[in-house]
Amino acid sequence: MIACVEAPATVEALCDVLARCDADGTPVTIVGGGTLYGMGFPPSGDGLTLQTTGLKRVVQYNAADLTIAVQCGVTIKTLVARLKKARQFVPFDAPKSGRATVGGTLASGWLGPRRHRYGRPRDLIVGSTIALADGTLARAGGMVVKNVAGYDMSRLYVGSFGTLGVLVQANLKTLPLPAAARAFLAPLPERTRTRAFAQLQGLAIEPSVALWIDGFEKEISGEPGPEGRLFILLETSEPLLERATRDLRSALGRAGVPDTEIVDARAFSLFDAAVDAYVSVVSERSITYRISSLRERVESCALGARDLVRRFALDAAVIADIMNGDVIVRASRGDTRDLSLKFQVLDDNLHQTETRARIIAGDHPVRAALRVWGNDPPALERMRALKTRFDPNGTLNPGRFVSGL
Amino acid sequence: MSASLHERLRDAIGAENVKTLPEDLAVYSFDAYSEGRLPSAVVIPSEAREVSAIVKIAREFGEPIIARGAGTGLCGGAVSIDGGGVVISFARMHRLLELDVPNRRARVQPGLVNLQLSQQVASAKLFYAPDPASQRSSTIGGNIATNAGGPHCLSYGTTVNHVLSLEIVDERGDVFTTDVDDAGYDLTATLVGSEGTLGIVTSAWVRLLRLPEATRVWLAAFPDIDRASETVSAIIGAGIVPTALEMMDSVIVRAVEAAFHAGYPTDAAAVLLIENAGFEDEMDACEAAIERIAREHGALSWRAARTQAERDALWAGRKGAVGALGRIAPNYYTQDVTVPRSVLPKALHAVEKASRDNDLLVGNVFHAGDGNLHPLLAYNKRDRRQVAAVLETGNAILQAAIDLGGTISGEHGVGYEKRDAMTSVYTTEDLAAMARVRDVFDPQHALNPEKIFPAGTRCIELGTR
Repeated sequence: MIACVEAPATVEALCDVLARCDADGTPVTIVGGGTLYGMGFPPSGDGLTLQTTGLKRVVQYNAADLTIAVQCGVTIKTLVARLKKARQFVPFDAPKSGRATVGGTLASGWLGPRRHRYGRPRDLIVGSTIALADGTLARAGGMVVKNVAGYDMSRLYVGSFGTLGVLVQANLKTLPLPAAARAFLAPLPERTRTRAFAQLQGLAIEPSVALWIDGFEKEISGEPGPEGRLFILLETSEPLLERATRDLRSALGRAGVPDTEIVDARAFSLFDAAVDAYVSVVSERSITYRISSLRERVESCALGARDLVRRFALDAAVIADIMNGDVIVRASRGDTRDLSLKFQVLDDNLHQTETRARIIAGDHPVRAALRVWGNDPPALERMRALKTRFDPNGTLNPGRFVSGL
Repeated sequence: MSASLHERLRDAIGAENVKTLPEDLAVYSFDAYSEGRLPSAVVIPSEAREVSAIVKIAREFGEPIIARGAGTGLCGGAVSIDGGGVVISFARMHRLLELDVPNRRARVQPGLVNLQLSQQVASAKLFYAPDPASQRSSTIGGNIATNAGGPHCLSYGTTVNHVLSLEIVDERGDVFTTDVDDAGYDLTATLVGSEGTLGIVTSAWVRLLRLPEATRVWLAAFPDIDRASETVSAIIGAGIVPTALEMMDSVIVRAVEAAFHAGYPTDAAAVLLIENAGFEDEMDACEAAIERIAREHGALSWRAARTQAERDALWAGRKGAVGALGRIAPNYYTQDVTVPRSVLPKALHAVEKASRDNDLLVGNVFHAGDGNLHPLLAYNKRDRRQVAAVLETGNAILQAAIDLGGTISGEHGVGYEKRDAMTSVYTTEDLAAMARVRDVFDPQHALNPEKIFPAGTRCIELGTR
């Protein structure tokens, strides 16, 4: 088989490609902006690469209804810019938004820091069109925000990593842009950390984002601090901003956090940098995990993961998402000796303590031998049956997703 | 044959938990919409293990299984259509199993009544957001089956946004679990809203929210429906998404006033009930913005409820609206469609025309902010002309919603009632994709058969391989 790339400009052309591959059993690797290449097992390189970036039309935008329908290849940046004109947004919080596509962000099941506030991307999808393995199109949902006519197929496709079909169109619910936003940076001395986390989680006016960032000096500008720093983003109505600011500062003061700097001018560039850091790599010498934990456990989970990485003489960079309970931990090493072995031992050990740890970035060749998706889900047998039913010839993104899906 | 099914069920879960007398079965043969047929048995298990045993026994006897919550459904979703089958009642599985305050979540059994969950977690300053009108009696399990909404899902989202993890008994009687953070496909989201056709929920972790610090409720009255609908569009269009945005027309307002004396203006053609929850600091500005929009669109009057008692009075009218209509006619039929919010005026005109064409009285009380209409058609079921007119009107409203880019159910479900209408919103290919999911979870159609999919279709006919 000769590896080749197809980048159809129409849905029909995309369906033709899928139908052809399905008929002759050619594996199809589906690629959007290529920004989450570090998620999932590496593609085998056989067969055909299907680039979705040619499908870049905003199909329908009903600003007054707070809904928008876009093709899968529309970039997050384009979507955000279009919505911003009508003072709306979609909180996908995808890294590298200039290249990341709506389809890729949804198919990968990307989860961003603002989801505790605005919902997961899957909760913002109200309808979809999917190109199935044999090239037929199936729609689900519509352009209304409440719809229980039949199974919620759109949410099934979100996070299915292209293994059930190619999401060619997503109909999304948009949100009004918050009237006011304010960002803060603060050093976080170790002695204040536990109390600071508790104070932030207890705030009446919850921040949209509260991250403890330890490392990632190159990716996120500003003084990193010897024991990490806090990045906080408040999004409120105008009249609430002053109180939110006051409450936050006094909460951090009670925790003993020495000084909190307001960085409004750089609020969203810092936020974007933090999200980009989730998937940033250290040439070919790093592996990054996302661990889904609970809010209550987020600090111990972050420290446990960091200690584990250091125990194997690897450098650790950590982001703890205090509001959602996620931990991002990047392990890297300048010295490449025994690096594969170190990553393998780390992978084994990490999965012993964390049941939900998956790799989201890193292109070290050993990645293919690691537990990229973490432990198998309990309902794997049913998922496999679904895969067989939707893609009987196994042509869609083979080998990239969870245990043969 | 039947006797030994009964014996086996009695052996498995105790004779007191198996109902077989026709008069007992009759209670489980209807929901709030329709009357089905008598099942072969009704069973009342106490734990997942018993549910599993019941499913295995029923399958041995070739009996379908119909999971049932409180029977408040409005689409014939929890009744036996062809007669026979084993109905599982969750009346004994009604407990809050675990409350995890720091992580704001609770593990519950499916028979727990929606409102009781919020009441039981209120001391921790938490609540469960989905609040269907039936919340005093409907159960979390039933809410999960239909992906129930309610007035407050405008800002909080429907049930699917609030379910974190499920324990399911499958069609073979085996237990499995799903979690939104599991690797692989999002089966949790797929199971929510599947109306008992993919599995039977035996427990769920649900998300809880913190009780808001401040809440205000406003009532605006309008001289006609159009101005009220335009106000809804203008509020949403101005980037304000209140926690609830409900509309009632004059038929409903008069019925409500006669029944509850809620203080609604009876000379208005339509009223909007608007709630916003948040913080005291932002309430005055929010109130001013919404009031300005309402007045610009011709509001006749504007009332703000600030105290709990005032708020409760305004909400009592809304929550009792459907019941109040009982004073006007012996029976009523509730339609449930959603349209894009900006075409609300057109949709309401279509409703009015359809009921006028069929000489029926219609009242509208609905989730205007979501575009989710609930026309209530008043009739007398002993009058055959009126019964026919109700069906005719209901179908005309469905068609109008579809023509306006809407859908055939916003929150009540498809069930038996609307399964044939599925073909008017979905193509054969669309339905075939859904049928593939059904095939995987329930290849024999043993779980809640004759629901969702159009009558007489098997997956083969829908073109799946």
